Amino acid sequence: MAWSIGSNDVANSMATAVGAKAITFKQAVLIAGILNFIGAVFVGSHVTDTVRKGIVDVSGIRPETLLLGFIASLLAAAIWVTISTWKEMPISTTHSVIGALMGFGIIAGGLSTVKWNTVGAVVSSWILSPLFGCILAFLVFKIIVKLIFAKDEPVKAARIVGPIIIGFTAFIITVSLFLKTPLSIKLGLSETDGIIIAGIISIVVGIIGILLLRMVKNKKNGDYATVEGIFRKLQIITSSYVAFAHGANDVANAIGPVASIIPLAQGLSVGSTVEVPVTLLMLGGIGIAIGCVTWGQRVMKTVGKRITSLTNTRGFSVDFGAATTVLVASKLGMPISTSHTVVGAVIGVGLARGLEAIDLSVIKKIIVSWLLTLPVAAATSIAIFILLQTIV
Amino acid sequence: MEKDHFRAPVSDTFRRKSPFKLLLEHMNKVRECIDILGEGLLSYYKGDYSSFPTIAERVDKLEHEADLIKSNIRNHLPKTILMPVDKGKFLWLLREEDKILDHAENLAKMLDMRHTAIPKELREGFIDHAKFVIKTVKAMEKAVENVADLLETGFVRKERQETKEAIYKVHEFEHKADEKKYEITKGIYKLEKKLDPMDVYHLLKIADWVDDIADHAENVADWLRSMIAK
Repeated sequence: MAWSIGSNDVANSMATAVGAKAITFKQAVLIAGILNFIGAVFVGSHVTDTVRKGIVDVSGIRPETLLLGFIASLLAAAIWVTISTWKEMPISTTHSVIGALMGFGIIAGGLSTVKWNTVGAVVSSWILSPLFGCILAFLVFKIIVKLIFAKDEPVKAARIVGPIIIGFTAFIITVSLFLKTPLSIKLGLSETDGIIIAGIISIVVGIIGILLLRMVKNKKNGDYATVEGIFRKLQIITSSYVAFAHGANDVANAIGPVASIIPLAQGLSVGSTVEVPVTLLMLGGIGIAIGCVTWGQRVMKTVGKRITSLTNTRGFSVDFGAATTVLVASKLGMPISTSHTVVGAVIGVGLARGLEAIDLSVIKKIIVSWLLTLPVAAATSIAIFILLQTIV
Repeated sequence: MEKDHFRAPVSDTFRRKSPFKLLLEHMNKVRECIDILGEGLLSYYKGDYSSFPTIAERVDKLEHEADLIKSNIRNHLPKTILMPVDKGKFLWLLREEDKILDHAENLAKMLDMRHTAIPKELREGFIDHAKFVIKTVKAMEKAVENVADLLETGFVRKERQETKEAIYKVHEFEHKADEKKYEITKGIYKLEKKLDPMDVYHLLKIADWVDDIADHAENVADWLRSMIAK
C-alpha cells in the first residue's frame, strides 16, 4: 500500500519540478523519498489518528471482529486503488481508505458506529482542499506577478522576493515540525520555543537563498528567462515542501488501518490512549520512500513530459499552494488527496491568467471520483469482511 | 510506461499542446511566406519573372502547412479548456492571420499565370507600396510575438503597453500602404488610354490584392488588441 502511494502520488508532487527541468529524475526521487519519510515520521501521526479512530467508533466492537474489519478495509482499499490505477481513474487513495473503513463500520456495528461527524468533516475537507489550494496558488502567482514581473527590473526583484518566500516556506515547515508533534514533546519545547526556532531557521534559509541565487547568472535572452532561472532553483525547495507535506498526510492511508491491527493482534484493546507507534510511521515512510525510488521515476517521467507548459514560476506557485494546504490539513488531522489539491492549485494559477491552456474537464472527473469512491470502496470492504468472517 | 498507469488527475489537466505555441508556429509560416513572396514581388515589379514558378509553389506549400496548424488549433479547443484570453477573439485572430496566407497564395498564383509588365512611370509607386505592405506584416509579427512575453508575465501592464505600441506601428504602416495604393491606382487610371485594357485590369488587381495582405495584417493586430484588453 505504502509502496503504491509512493510510486503514484509522489510523482504528482515532484512532476512539476521535473517537468520544469528544475531537477533531474534521480534527484527528484531521492528528495521525494527522504522528505516523504521525514514528513511521515514527524507529522504523520495526526492524520493516522483520524483514520484509525475517527471514522469508526471502535469501542462497541469485539477485538476479533475489528481485526478482521481492518484487514478487510486495507484489502478493499488496495484492490480499489489497483483497479483504478489500471483503469486510469483519478481516484484518491485517501478516499478509498476512508470509504473502506466506513463500509466495515456499517456492517460490523450498524450505521451508528460510523462517526458521521468526523466523516462529514473529512468529506468537506475534500471539497475545501482543492479550493484552498486554488486560492493559495492564485495569490502566490499574483504576488509573483505584482512584485516581480510588473517591475522594471524583474531580475533584481526576483532576487529579493525569492529568498523571502523561501524563508517563509522554511518557517511553515519548521513550525509544523515543532508544534505539538512527538518530536517537540521529546525535546521538551514549548510553542513559543518552536516559533522562535522556526523564525531563526527561516532567516538562515533566507540568507542561504540569497547567497545561492547570486550564483544564477543573467541569461542572454531577456529578463524573464533569468527570472525563470531563479525560480528553477527555488522550485527545488517548494517541491521538497510538497514531498514533505505529502508524507505527512498520506502515510496515514497505508498505516492507519495497520496501526489498529498491530495492538489488536498483540491482544491489546484499541484504547484511545495508544499512541501511533513511531516505528510504524517509519515503516510507512520507508514504504513510500521505496515506492518513490522503484516506480516513482517511471511515473514521474511520463507526467513530467506532459506538464511542459508549466514554467518554473508557475510550478513554484502550484507547489506552494498545494503543499501548504496539505500540510495544514495534516496538522488538523484531515486525510485529503494530494493530487486533487495539486489540480486545484493548477486551476488557481490558470485563473490568475498564468497558464496558456488547462483542461477543466478534469474537475468533472474529480467530482465523479468523490461520488463514486466512497460507496464502491465501502461495498468492497463489506464484501471482503463477510468473506473473511465465513472463512475464519 | 503506458498511459494507463495513471489515476492521477494532475496529468489530465495538461494534455494538449498550448494553443499559443501553435499560434506562433502558424505565424512563422506567415513570416516565411511573406518573406518569399515579398522578394518575389519586388523582382516581378522590376520585370524579372524567372523565379515565379518556384515562388508560387513554395507559397502554396506553406499555406497548406499553415492550414494544418490552423485546424489543429481549432479542433482542439473544446469548451472545457480554460485560456487566459477570450477564446473567440483568439480564434478570430487566427482566422485573420490565416487569411493573409490565403491572399498570398492567390496573389502568387495570379502573378505566375500572367506576367504583367509594370509601366515605367508606376514602377516606383508599386515597389514602395509592396514595401509598406511587407512592413505592415512585419510589425504585425512583432506584435503577435510579444504574446509570449505577455503570457510569461501574466499580462502585466508593461508588456501590454509594449504590445500596443507594436500594434500602433501596424496601423501606421497600413495607413501608408493605403495611401500608396490610391496613388498608384490614380496613376493607372491616368495611363488607361495608353495601356492595354487587360493590363489595366491586372495592374488594378495586383494593387488590390497586395493591399489586402496589409488589411488582414491590420485585422490581426486589431483582434490582438481586443484580446489583451483588460
